[in-house]
Amino acid sequence: MSAEPALLSLTEVAQAIAQKRFSSREVTKSCLDRIAQWQPRLNAFLAIEADEALAAADAADAALAKGSARGALHGVPLAHKDMYYDAGKIVTCGSKIRREFVATSTSTALQRLKDAGTIRLGSLQMVEFAYGPTGHNTHYGAVHNPWGLDHITGGSSSGSGSAVAARLTFAALGSDTGGSIRMPAHFCGVTGLKTTYGRISRAGAMPLSQSLDTVGPLARTAEDCALLLGLMAGADPKDPTATAEPVPDYMAATRESITGLTIGVPSAFYVDDLDPEVERILDETISVLKREGANIVQVELPDQRQLTAAAQLVVAVEASAFHKRWLIERPQDYGPQVLMRLQNGLAIPGVSYLEAMRWRGPALAAFLAAVAGVDAVIAPVAPVAAPTLAESDVGNSPDAESVIQRLTRFTRPINYLGLPSLAIPSGFTKNGLPVGMQLIGRSFDEAMLLRIGAAFQRATDFHERVPEPA
Amino acid sequence: MTRPTPKGIKAIADVAGVPVDAEVAARIANSIGPAFEGFAAVAGTLPFDLEPASFLVVQTAKVST
Repeated sequence: MSAEPALLSLTEVAQAIAQKRFSSREVTKSCLDRIAQWQPRLNAFLAIEADEALAAADAADAALAKGSARGALHGVPLAHKDMYYDAGKIVTCGSKIRREFVATSTSTALQRLKDAGTIRLGSLQMVEFAYGPTGHNTHYGAVHNPWGLDHITGGSSSGSGSAVAARLTFAALGSDTGGSIRMPAHFCGVTGLKTTYGRISRAGAMPLSQSLDTVGPLARTAEDCALLLGLMAGADPKDPTATAEPVPDYMAATRESITGLTIGVPSAFYVDDLDPEVERILDETISVLKREGANIVQVELPDQRQLTAAAQLVVAVEASAFHKRWLIERPQDYGPQVLMRLQNGLAIPGVSYLEAMRWRGPALAAFLAAVAGVDAVIAPVAPVAAPTLAESDVGNSPDAESVIQRLTRFTRPINYLGLPSLAIPSGFTKNGLPVGMQLIGRSFDEAMLLRIGAAFQRATDFHERVPEPA
Repeated sequence: MTRPTPKGIKAIADVAGVPVDAEVAARIANSIGPAFEGFAAVAGTLPFDLEPASFLVVQTAKVST
């Protein structure tokens, strides 16, 4: 076990605090020390609440000394994407418009983590209103990738990816509407779980697209994601779209072997036009899974380009509708790219939007039929490793939409289908940039993805590598 | 399903209550056009009785099997 508490995984540090091998104060101080070291380089935090965090840690230690632990994450300090309402706290949503917005309630996902005993370190950067895949932010500056400071983190959960990778927080909530958890996980070398639509309540989470938004964690390991999912999943009277389906024992799933499982590799689309290094790492990942006992087969999926197009129509309209009042009253307060994308939704007729919504059922049925013979599908998260901040700073230029679509090509179809997908660190390029692969599963079968991800992480060490300050 | 023209976008944005100028309309047409083209093979082909809620039916049906 590491002597530096911040370098432990979430699961390890929760056990260490429970067993009094580290106090919550020692753990919190370790995170704060790393934040002080890295924040000037990364810009991953929007707010750092050191004094409050240490006071909460002392309270957690005092409670533990009296034998009253709150839950599975007692005394564990965390920070989250700044779009989860936390009563009494400013929640900027990465925007100028909500720079001074104070939440009056706490989001269900966050409250469930608090109920398990977590402590707040501060809030994490994000793309303005979660509407962008690169990690640039006009109002608060770009977030930097700890594996290469000139490179993007991916978005929109940019601070979450960067902070988890640099070991500034043990895990962080993100959100995924078009790839916003999986892309930062891929570009920053951490594990990210996009949950099934409806698996975790969205109550108190800033909306972008009510039909596609999902809540999920970024963490160091599949096991950590399993722990967090088990705490957050389940029905919520505040969000009728949160399903009442039973919550399985995700942690138990991570301990199972993958011998005899069948994993599908798409015959097209997800393997087309890949950067050679991403292609190499996909092949190496498949080899590891095969060595661990999985059967690898090719799968022919329905046309994924149509799913991407449908997802674009849905997000554009729903985002514009949420923002309409501010589009009228405060258009000057948006960054250029976010304003451009919000204006896109104005151009889509209601009939086109509803056709895209009506097609979701048949499209999901067709996808599930195509993968009926496999336990999961493996595919790259993106066709490239992290581009530089400069080359992806496209603003509202004529090229912007094509850059965005290229980055999100492999993630958007999964949001349209509402399926779960686990992004896992799978290798590094020759330049030292991480590359992730995504495991795609059936609706509500996160347990299968976590099982495969954990087996892969027992056989590899990509998730254990820690970036060094430049 | 054809991609919208800047002229058509200007009209629809006016109706939506968020008017845009010609330059913005042209930019929107450029941005959103590929989505219309990508969805063209599906648009206009869906059966009469298909509701958006069919998605939830398919999603939950898979859980119980």
